[in-house]
Amino acid sequence: MSGMDQIVIEGVGGVGGFGCGVSDLTRALTGSACSPGTLALSTESGTVTIPAFRADVSRLEEFLPVRTLRRIDHFSRLGLLGSYLALADANLPEEERTRLGIIIASGYGATGMTYAFLKSLIDDGDICASPTCFASSVHNSAAAHISIQLGAKGPNLTVSDYHMSVPSALATARIWLAEERVQRVLFGAIDELSDLIGYIRYRTRGALPAAPMTPLRTEMETSIPGEGAAFLLLAREGAARGGYCTLDASTTGSLPFPGLPFPEPGLLVLGADGCRASGRRYAAVAQNARVACYTPLYGSMPAGPAFDLAAAALILKGGRVFPTPGGAFRDFPATVPAGGDPVGADRIACITLAGNEAYGLTTLGRLNSL
Amino acid sequence: MLPLLKRGEVLCSIQRMSVAPIAITGMGCICAAGRNLPDSMEAILRGERNPAPPVRFASNHPVRYPVFEAAEFEAPPDLLRTSAFGLHAVREAVADAGLDRKTMGALRVGVCVGTTVGTVLSEETFCRGYLAGLIPDMTPIRRILRGNPADVIAREFGLSGPRQTVVTACASGTDAVGIAGSWIRAGLCDAAIAGGADELGRITYIGFISLMITDDSPCKPFDKHRKGLNLGEGAAMLVLASERVLRRSGMRARSFLLGYGSAGDAYHQTAPQPDGAGLRSAISEAMATSGVSSDSVAFVNAHGTGTPDNDRVESRVLHDMLPGIPFLSTKGYTGHTLGAAGAIEAVFTAACLEIGKIPANAGFETPDPDIANTPVREVTTVQGTVALSESLAFGGNNSVVVLGKA
Repeated sequence: MSGMDQIVIEGVGGVGGFGCGVSDLTRALTGSACSPGTLALSTESGTVTIPAFRADVSRLEEFLPVRTLRRIDHFSRLGLLGSYLALADANLPEEERTRLGIIIASGYGATGMTYAFLKSLIDDGDICASPTCFASSVHNSAAAHISIQLGAKGPNLTVSDYHMSVPSALATARIWLAEERVQRVLFGAIDELSDLIGYIRYRTRGALPAAPMTPLRTEMETSIPGEGAAFLLLAREGAARGGYCTLDASTTGSLPFPGLPFPEPGLLVLGADGCRASGRRYAAVAQNARVACYTPLYGSMPAGPAFDLAAAALILKGGRVFPTPGGAFRDFPATVPAGGDPVGADRIACITLAGNEAYGLTTLGRLNSL
Repeated sequence: MLPLLKRGEVLCSIQRMSVAPIAITGMGCICAAGRNLPDSMEAILRGERNPAPPVRFASNHPVRYPVFEAAEFEAPPDLLRTSAFGLHAVREAVADAGLDRKTMGALRVGVCVGTTVGTVLSEETFCRGYLAGLIPDMTPIRRILRGNPADVIAREFGLSGPRQTVVTACASGTDAVGIAGSWIRAGLCDAAIAGGADELGRITYIGFISLMITDDSPCKPFDKHRKGLNLGEGAAMLVLASERVLRRSGMRARSFLLGYGSAGDAYHQTAPQPDGAGLRSAISEAMATSGVSSDSVAFVNAHGTGTPDNDRVESRVLHDMLPGIPFLSTKGYTGHTLGAAGAIEAVFTAACLEIGKIPANAGFETPDPDIANTPVREVTTVQGTVALSESLAFGGNNSVVVLGKA
């Protein structure tokens, strides 16, 4: 994609365990307390309550009538709220919305509706299974609701690559803009913490204590499940009217370590989410780098890398690093700058690791005046 | 509503220039019509179709809706059936392209796969156990989480390029092919394996019945008495390559991916926009990027599900935008294979261009007065070097690829 216009992040919107919108995210990043809530799960040994970063979507009523929301499920509400927040943040005129491209990344999709449909057919029989739940359980249901409410008739894509969903989908967003299919892409990542996902987390990682996440303490499992939506309004440089930073690259691949193609960023934002299995891989990647990690503010979820990008965009705009919640740990082989330190260079790279070899790497750059 | 077009005109709401063609060097397919592409093509040109009530799963629904299962295909126990279908089709496509693992290892090969169920945590046995307060076996959940179709293919062949699983419902397979073409043009990879895969199971079967869009008899796309779709399953994969790789690797182009377009209806979760505006935009973009005029179009492989709404909207758009050009639906031979459909229909389209013939639109007998045009009723010789394959999907997704003869 050499020779293409730069891509600008014009607007940021997000809802998650930290709150709702850029102001809440900024407050959380600057060090305000951000405690997880809880999720009650039915288990074989009765109700178990696990810590969880839940997202409150009540502010969606600022953007859409309650009547419109009546038949829209939580997964799509997360996406709608993230969308409206990003568009409002960018101050995008209403008439520009119809020409947007939409790309959604989700690790697990509308699991609440998936579970509700299964429950309806188990409880009520094959003949009474819920058509509403079935129609809402498809992965692209949120993208559809967003396009309908915005009247966005451009290309519309949903991608599901579990923990690699965000960098994978971003690569396609960059291509759409490079090809001039559209002038702007509303890019969002959504994951909901349904009973189904909560129970699967409980079975795979156990009932963790309600202690803060410490993802840089790699010998411990400290992940807390999260949910939310993080949206970025991306624009071709020629169309952008300002914004946070540039989106310079997004790649995914499979590489043994060491050997990642880092572009010598001023800061490396780690997607480490307190999962012990991946913690050591992050430590290996981060060797001697300047790193930050903000997952303790929104929790562990496949959509998490989009929140990392939102945090990085805010850092590049403000020029100062936010503190890593919990700070550094002695054995982590990298420098963790204190809150308020200068970024140190014009670029921030955000990295996501999954499985034994997969990586996603997204690079953001400082925005010169447009 | 968008203006009507005369033949040869191209409308594009998004101004696009034509793009470089991408070579299709190999194709593979498995579906109810056959276990590979040559067998499937022979079967559909013979007019064979065998819809029947499902045998791989049971339902206590009083109506036994016919489906198109891929007979005698068994997935290994540790692999999702969807991913197993995908691998099966990839092996055929890679062999057809004359690629070996060493050559693929020396290239940056991407994988882009469309699916609807391949990444969904929809596991009935697990949920039954959970709802009953038991400790359900996690094996099926782990199988899903390890079974992302693009990952499975990349792992199996040791591919190092980008991977993406596209989940735009029934347009997924078409989108995956179009996106992979863009990856190659943008230099993200040298070559790509692109297509779609989907298995048929109880959840999908009951879900579509609940929506009341399934036909209790063999489906009849575009027919006056059409009542809905029959579900199917399978996969198709294409090996796509840049011109540079084509020269270097010794592969030959079987056909070309010339253009791709997609657009949203922004109208309804499950129903197409009545005037087909989204489909019109998708066709316009696909034609504009292909750089060909509609005079070159030999035929259109329509989405043609057999649902009253889809066929009415789609035929109206074809009548307005590509009048007089033969069209058909191949879903009468395969059923609606959802996320695989766009890919299966793309390989059928390319194969039909090669042989210069298209099959009859199975199930069509009685013209519908609401539909201004009729699909082909018998095996038809086609002239022209270009054909379109289109997909419409839940969520209002419309996607079109333009394929060209080598």
